[in-house]
Amino acid sequence: MAAIQLDGLTKTYGGGVTALQNVDLTVEEGEIFGFLGPNGAGKSTTINILLDFVRPTSGSARVLGMDAQEDSLEVRRRTGVLPEGYQVYDRLTGKQHVQFVIESKESDEQPADVLERVGLTDAAERKAGGYSKGMQQRLTLAMALVGDPDLLILDEPSTGLDPAGVRGVRETVKNVAEQGTTIFFSSHILPQVEAVCDRVSILRKGEVVAVDTMEGLRESVGADGSMTVYAEPLTDEHVAAAERVQGVTSVTHEGDSLTLSVADYAKYDALNAIAAQGATITDFSTTEASLEELFMSYTEGSR
Amino acid sequence: MSILVVAKKDFQDAIRSKVFWAVSALFALLVVGLGAAYASFDLLNGGDPTGVGLAQFLASGITLFVAVTAIVVCNRAIAGERESGSLRLLLSLPHTRLDVVVGKLIGRTAVLAVPILGSLVVGAVIGGAIGGVFEPVPIVVTLGVALLFVLTYVGIFVGVSALTKSTTLALAAGVAYFLVFEVLWNLVGTIVILALNGFEPLGAGTPDWYYVFQNVPPSNSYSTVFNAALEATTDGTYTAAPPDTFYGTPWIGLVIMALWFVVPLAVGYARFSTTDL
Repeated sequence: MAAIQLDGLTKTYGGGVTALQNVDLTVEEGEIFGFLGPNGAGKSTTINILLDFVRPTSGSARVLGMDAQEDSLEVRRRTGVLPEGYQVYDRLTGKQHVQFVIESKESDEQPADVLERVGLTDAAERKAGGYSKGMQQRLTLAMALVGDPDLLILDEPSTGLDPAGVRGVRETVKNVAEQGTTIFFSSHILPQVEAVCDRVSILRKGEVVAVDTMEGLRESVGADGSMTVYAEPLTDEHVAAAERVQGVTSVTHEGDSLTLSVADYAKYDALNAIAAQGATITDFSTTEASLEELFMSYTEGSR
Repeated sequence: MSILVVAKKDFQDAIRSKVFWAVSALFALLVVGLGAAYASFDLLNGGDPTGVGLAQFLASGITLFVAVTAIVVCNRAIAGERESGSLRLLLSLPHTRLDVVVGKLIGRTAVLAVPILGSLVVGAVIGGAIGGVFEPVPIVVTLGVALLFVLTYVGIFVGVSALTKSTTLALAAGVAYFLVFEVLWNLVGTIVILALNGFEPLGAGTPDWYYVFQNVPPSNSYSTVFNAALEATTDGTYTAAPPDTFYGTPWIGLVIMALWFVVPLAVGYARFSTTDL
């Protein structure tokens, strides 16, 4: 059974705005799944449909084997959610928030234990309206984990957090996943997803443009990185020598440097080839192939 | 169960509103003042304070307060949570949208009932002590009908709050309602009646339909029901003779209150249950 299964999911809002276009997606049980895409790509609409906040125009969404609309109550009973653009109840204390969730989910946990998990013991009796953004996020994350959910949905969980907060979210995700919980992690920031996810999909303008494992994505970027070589003298012969090396796909000559697009394994050969033409290499630098560039190329539509 | 969980959370949240407590404190002073005044001045009690007289005096004081605080306390009940985003937390938990509407209705009714019933009890005790009257029945009737009135008003404004995602719109609807039904209705009714009569003195009384028309604003139907309930439980006549038609009974007030309670809630829920949040 898949944790999340979307079939031909389409959502058109009033005024003819298409937020989702025929989206098919399967998230397996136990995975940490990254749901990537720029703002406005339809990530929140997808999550809103999973939670029955929004009803699809056509297609179907199944969560934990149940219909997201028909069985929404049971879906939400077994799902923990850190929603995007949420707001805590300013006038309720941290403990009252947790108590409310415990009662709502008919869990037998103790509010004190739940708050301790996220380090809010000292703030339990304070109104959540006075919490910092990071504390509110920790409170909401603690609420999402009440009742040991089978699925945890995180919608842009790092918004407004400092680096320590972002790291905290990442650690929590890993811990929770180790206990077998499926995690659906939505973000527009690649590195956050890259660090924790097994598989990702990339959404652009309401359509899924890529679904792959992190490794698969890296492979599809290819092993090509770039290398810049500073040497003198540099002539067309040096350029030609570098181009002849297997694994070099392009060479650009600019002033006293050559920039090569080159596979990892061929970098040493390329340096040797340039040196063999009688040039003295003064410096060189290399950069790895970047997943970020791939992500940009997908989401900006040049691909 | 789910409804009560939502209601409890909502009560805890709304009861902490500072504006609400400021208005409530003023109201408590007013009601206690009314009770003491009735018991102290012959001009008000006709030289002989009675339990019914005290109850009527107190009951007449709550209509404006309930109308205003219901608008203040309820217009944000659902629209406010939609606007701020806390509804996303609430509905990510296993509650249906009906649970939310009914839970809000119960929570906010409880919130309003605290200062209103509390003030009425204190006003009755103080007024009774000063005037030397201790009649529990009229006070119980006052509390019971006041609770119905609160429920009616909360129903109206929780319904309105479910209808829109804008608290500004919900508040505007509340103010418009207040102007039409609590300020203009009686005035317009009187003018219409006079105009129909060619602005001559009303010799033969008002037409039958006017009886219903008059009872349309909840505060009027509340008064009618309150007096009818007093009549039913004590000796005495407190309501004007109704017209001799099938709807010519003071209990028509109860029907109208029920309609005010049900219709806005039903319309608000119907919209809220199908809308994209």
